[in-house]
Amino acid sequence: MKTFLIAARRIVALILLVAFWESASRLGWLDPFYMPAPSTVARVMMQLFAGGEFWTHLQATFIAAFAGLAAGLVLGVGLGFAAALFPMLAELLEPVMVLLNAIPRVILAPLFVIWLGIGLASKVALALVLVSVLMFFAVYNGIREVDRRLVERIRTLGGGRRFLVREVYVPSVTAWVMGNLKVAVGFAFTGAVVGEFVASSRGLGYLLQFAQSTYNAGLTIALIVVIMAFVLLLFALSERLERRLLRWR
Amino acid sequence: MLRVRGLTVAFGGPPVLENIDLDVKAGQFTTLIGPSGSGKTSILRAVTALLSPQSGTVALDVPANDVGFLFQDDALLPWRTVRQNVALGLRIRGIAAGPATEKADRWLSLLGLEGFGDRYPRQLSGGQRKRVAIAQVLVLEPRLLLMDEPFASLDAIVRMRITEELLGWVEREHLTVLLVTHDLEEAISSSDVVYVLSQGPSATIRARHEIGIPRPRHVLETRRDPLFAPLVELLWKELS
Repeated sequence: MKTFLIAARRIVALILLVAFWESASRLGWLDPFYMPAPSTVARVMMQLFAGGEFWTHLQATFIAAFAGLAAGLVLGVGLGFAAALFPMLAELLEPVMVLLNAIPRVILAPLFVIWLGIGLASKVALALVLVSVLMFFAVYNGIREVDRRLVERIRTLGGGRRFLVREVYVPSVTAWVMGNLKVAVGFAFTGAVVGEFVASSRGLGYLLQFAQSTYNAGLTIALIVVIMAFVLLLFALSERLERRLLRWR
Repeated sequence: MLRVRGLTVAFGGPPVLENIDLDVKAGQFTTLIGPSGSGKTSILRAVTALLSPQSGTVALDVPANDVGFLFQDDALLPWRTVRQNVALGLRIRGIAAGPATEKADRWLSLLGLEGFGDRYPRQLSGGQRKRVAIAQVLVLEPRLLLMDEPFASLDAIVRMRITEELLGWVEREHLTVLLVTHDLEEAISSSDVVYVLSQGPSATIRARHEIGIPRPRHVLETRRDPLFAPLVELLWKELS
């Protein structure tokens, strides 16, 4: 009941804000060149979805984001596990990862374009780097901070490495990965869109770049809203997955 | 069944335990009592090879697989159901899922947890979790049971009930027990032999007492035994 009330209040606030924006535009308080009315943005959005071309852009961004997300998860989780199990590898990997974690990783985008061209590969690479560094730390720190009591429990029951990994490490790691999945989804989209923004011939980032270069504020806002809507949808999906996999919590 | 000789444990400083000698005879309930922080737990950890002592020996007459360890905190796997937690040790010993589950369920109902098999530890009360932990150990039919203040976290009523129950199991399964506790009355009411550990660092065995109160024991009746009160007083003096 309480969460319902909170949601209701939020929706009302949003409607009021949009209504205020719309009336401010109609009354001429806002310059449509900089701040087009919500109705204009909505019209632009409908035109986007009605035109066939938009779907290929949407598809391009989704493919880049998902490919980067999947590859980044595999790479990050794999390296995190390996570093936690083999201290020698951790010695080498940790400084690299700390450095990659400290910098804004999107600065690598121009380099990926030079290396991999303006096609899909450079976008996947950027999303992959963003996601894998996040996952590396989630898994690496997670394994090192695994509950010692559970490890000792398995050992006193006679279990060796195989049972430790299966009964303690993998479930713990799953919890950390799932806890970071939403952030990872966001990162994957950041990577894909920024990659397209830097140099490409397709994708939502490309459209954004186009809208910006033609000073089309309506199209820019419409694209931002579309990207937000899709990311929110994916957040909801990962939340469901999280609840399913972590139902023991 | 268990002989500890000259056990010294140190963690890079002055020894926590020094020159501990301790015997646990088959079929006996032995308790090691000592102040908090005296290193009692380290003795059990040395017996189960969770830590390697600086010097001294631990000799077991039974294979390591016949030793059960009941921890202070229940340490159940939070992501496994109650049934899976109880079956865990059986699975580790290579028993197939079917028979392991069956056996786990049988022990769950013996401990009054019928119908709780599909729950997760989070969904249980402290007392219920402790019963699961007991089932997890007893299902393996150990011959030597090590217990590290197993009931410290429970409230007094639940604690008394579970202690009583566990004494029943010890009797029925002819278990040999080594209990570590700082609770005087618990030590005397359940044990045949009580070792008193001095305050650490360099804690060592200060005294050994045979408790002549006849078995089987019941928590409440034992306290009315004429031997009980003088023993409490004696141990209290040795501890302080």
